[in-house]
Amino acid sequence: MPKTRKLTLMALLTAIALTVFVIENQIPAPVPVPGVKLGLANIVTLITMKLLGKREAGAVLLVRVLMGSMFAGSPSTLLFSAAGGLLAYLVMCLTAGVFEENQLWIVSALAGVAHNAGQLAACVFVVKTPGVFAYAPVLAASGVITGVFTGLAAQYLLKALKKTKF
Amino acid sequence: MKKRTSIIFGLLFAVIVIGGLLSTFLLGRGEGTVAVISVDGEVLERIDLSKVRKPYDIDISTEYGHNTVHVEKGAISVSEADCPDKVCMYQGRLTGSGIPIICMPHRLVIEIEGGDIDA
Repeated sequence: MPKTRKLTLMALLTAIALTVFVIENQIPAPVPVPGVKLGLANIVTLITMKLLGKREAGAVLLVRVLMGSMFAGSPSTLLFSAAGGLLAYLVMCLTAGVFEENQLWIVSALAGVAHNAGQLAACVFVVKTPGVFAYAPVLAASGVITGVFTGLAAQYLLKALKKTKF
Repeated sequence: MKKRTSIIFGLLFAVIVIGGLLSTFLLGRGEGTVAVISVDGEVLERIDLSKVRKPYDIDISTEYGHNTVHVEKGAISVSEADCPDKVCMYQGRLTGSGIPIICMPHRLVIEIEGGDIDA
């Protein structure tokens, strides 16, 4: 892939991820559990990893996390999404090669759990109250549910993109 | 082989979801009456909810933001918050130990101490 095309694609994907992230932030949480959200921006990270590669996905994620908390959050949002995003990214990198294209939902669910684990650890670190770990089971469950959902979304999107000779 | 791993992971995920939700349900039913309000890990208030006669409100204002905590007999909740997400308000009334109320932007945690923690 030519360098310019790659750069443009990365910029485009970052813009999409940011938009999705900011819009999702405006929607009130569906369940009254702190830290639970769909994580739609994760679809973009998955797509970038599959289309361009791991390093490119990391770059898109990094810019999205930094700019996302500038646009739609506070400094504490940055810490939480950075901790969650980093852990999810590591898990994605480790598992993306293991599973096949139409098993992306597995990669995504594992990443979802990792994301919530990172976020919870950051939260306990910030509020300095270990009792917050009581949220671990429900966050693991939500990580799986939202991860499977975003993973399937990314999977079908990839399929459609390939049909268009993207 | 491919189908097999899908099934294995599908089952694993189902176990995590069911187990996670079930244990949260059980965890949230611990006994205990002493509510502890802390910000940034520092305890601000310690209230025995079983000894509350008349409901009242506590204002918690810190450098992070403002919350109003509603205290009544046997229950504690956040009735007002100036954070953007209001998750702490939607968490409703806390009546037993197990799962604390958290307001992450304001670093506020409300826990109920005591009772059987291992549920």
